[in-house]
Amino acid sequence: MLLSVLVTGLAIGALYASTALAFNVMYSTSKVLSVATGHLCMLGGVFGAYFIQTLGLPIIVGFVGALMVGVIAGYLMELITVRRIINRSDEHLWLLSTLALATMIQQSVALWWGTEPRPFPRVIPQEFGAGMADQKYWLPVVALIVIAIGLELFYRLTMYGKVFIAVSEDAFAARARGVPTNRIRAASYMIAGLIGALAGFAAGQLTFAYFALGHVLTLMGFIAIAVGGLGSNLGAVVGGLLLGVLSSLVSYWFGGEYQNTIAIGVLIIILIVRPEGLFGSKRVRHV
Amino acid sequence: MSPNVRKFIGALAFLVVAAALPFVTDNIYYIRIATLIGIYWILVAGLNLVIGYCGQISIGHVGLLALGAYCFAILAGKAGVDPWVATAASALLGGLCGLALGLPSLRLPGFYFAMTTLAFGMIVAELSVAWEWLTGGGVGLMVPFYPGEFASPWGFYWLVVGIAAIVSWLVWNLGRHAWGRAMISVRDSEVAAAAVGVPIYKIKLYVFTFSGVLAGLAGALFASYQSYITPETFVFELSMFFFVCIVVGGRGSILGPFIGVIVLAALPEIVAPLAKLGTFFYGVLLLIVVLLLPEGIGNLIHILRDRFNPIERRSSGIVPDLERLAAALRQGGMK
Repeated sequence: MLLSVLVTGLAIGALYASTALAFNVMYSTSKVLSVATGHLCMLGGVFGAYFIQTLGLPIIVGFVGALMVGVIAGYLMELITVRRIINRSDEHLWLLSTLALATMIQQSVALWWGTEPRPFPRVIPQEFGAGMADQKYWLPVVALIVIAIGLELFYRLTMYGKVFIAVSEDAFAARARGVPTNRIRAASYMIAGLIGALAGFAAGQLTFAYFALGHVLTLMGFIAIAVGGLGSNLGAVVGGLLLGVLSSLVSYWFGGEYQNTIAIGVLIIILIVRPEGLFGSKRVRHV
Repeated sequence: MSPNVRKFIGALAFLVVAAALPFVTDNIYYIRIATLIGIYWILVAGLNLVIGYCGQISIGHVGLLALGAYCFAILAGKAGVDPWVATAASALLGGLCGLALGLPSLRLPGFYFAMTTLAFGMIVAELSVAWEWLTGGGVGLMVPFYPGEFASPWGFYWLVVGIAAIVSWLVWNLGRHAWGRAMISVRDSEVAAAAVGVPIYKIKLYVFTFSGVLAGLAGALFASYQSYITPETFVFELSMFFFVCIVVGGRGSILGPFIGVIVLAALPEIVAPLAKLGTFFYGVLLLIVVLLLPEGIGNLIHILRDRFNPIERRSSGIVPDLERLAAALRQGGMK
């Protein structure tokens, strides 16, 4: 019994961790924490279900389509809510604009897709009696591993990755060296959209295709970041998995209705005791 | 007549008009909408101090509203306490919870604070479903009316108008004296505010607690207005609505959010398609205002006025007096 709790926790924690990675990717180039981050994951799940279940497209086409939707959503987020705002001095404006976008995404999905959670199709042929080895438990974890390793390789090995790091270290200096910071920022948002859609697609069977996932995932991804430390990818992964396992244990012991309450208790304790997070450096501390 | 006196007279005139509404129309539907606007305004007036003046983005005020509503419903409905006492208890509980929420979260900067308040809203929503023995769970609770005269739609409307007027007066006083200046300085530059001796954290905490009191009070009235509350009554979209009213109306003013509440609460009732789009429309509106008019639509009046009726710039004599200059030069040349 405890094993199944742990497995569920790891699966949902992998989704939180992926959301946290998407947060980090966007934060690194723009210093913006987008309220609509969780909505990127939600789009991946909803559009995956739409393409495969409703339109009956082949699974691989549906998968690529869902990823494309995520990338487009990420690009639009940068274009609409960040680019015009980021050079103004008022630091709250991006919070308002991403909140507005999050609301628009959520409500348009609610109007179009409906407010009931809909089932997500099987991605890989598998019997339903597989128990703990069921794909809905390990797919999110696989997605997280792919995302984390992919990001790490991207940052370390590719030229673009190095440019990303340069922009995140000092955008002005990078610009002075001829880095097109606007385009790099847009690219980072598209990557975040890709990550979000991939995670949302992989976790679709666990969460169902549900319009209201966005806010929950934004909050949980943010808690994962606050636990792990803003800007640290390792922290995001550890924080997300810890949070998932913890909330799964809590709902095992106390019942599912206290899940969020405990998660938020963790957030507040972490913010008071160690505001820079477990893996964050003091330098990036924004608290 | 000083501007403040003029504003005071304007507010008084509006109050008279508002109070006379039941004599103008006997359509209960309008009275109900006007009552709802009044209740919203009681909450928004406090929230406006937090968002518009202090610049702290709270997106979880619906949680405080729900707390006040449930407190009133449980005390006045289940426990049979006098509704007036229950209302006071709601306001007190709202203030206490605002204080408890503000103590840790107001130390945090922008996004962290917003997320904490969002989290608070989620906790309240979760517990209102989970604590079935207290809140009735998903089934909800019956809420009693106020006693005597205030049970009728008109009586209740006058009650709300009265409370809203007192609240507006309080908020107006807070906003224009030293407190208001201190709050705006916290919003615009914490460093500068700290440098001139504004106790930033204390200001934020007091204001947030005050907004909690008003949210609890509004919650009690809201519960009685709805006459039956369930966790579904207090959706996150309601928070979004309060938020949009303030940002669209214009931050750092009181009249702006007030007009925002009236327009945004009445619009979906008048224009039917908007009711369907509902929150999506609020999102679009918020985005447009943030991108194009960050000071709020209230400021649009000023912009248009400046465009079409520019203020005469009084020239302070920069027209060059060439003859005198030439004379001076000539004199200098003679020397």
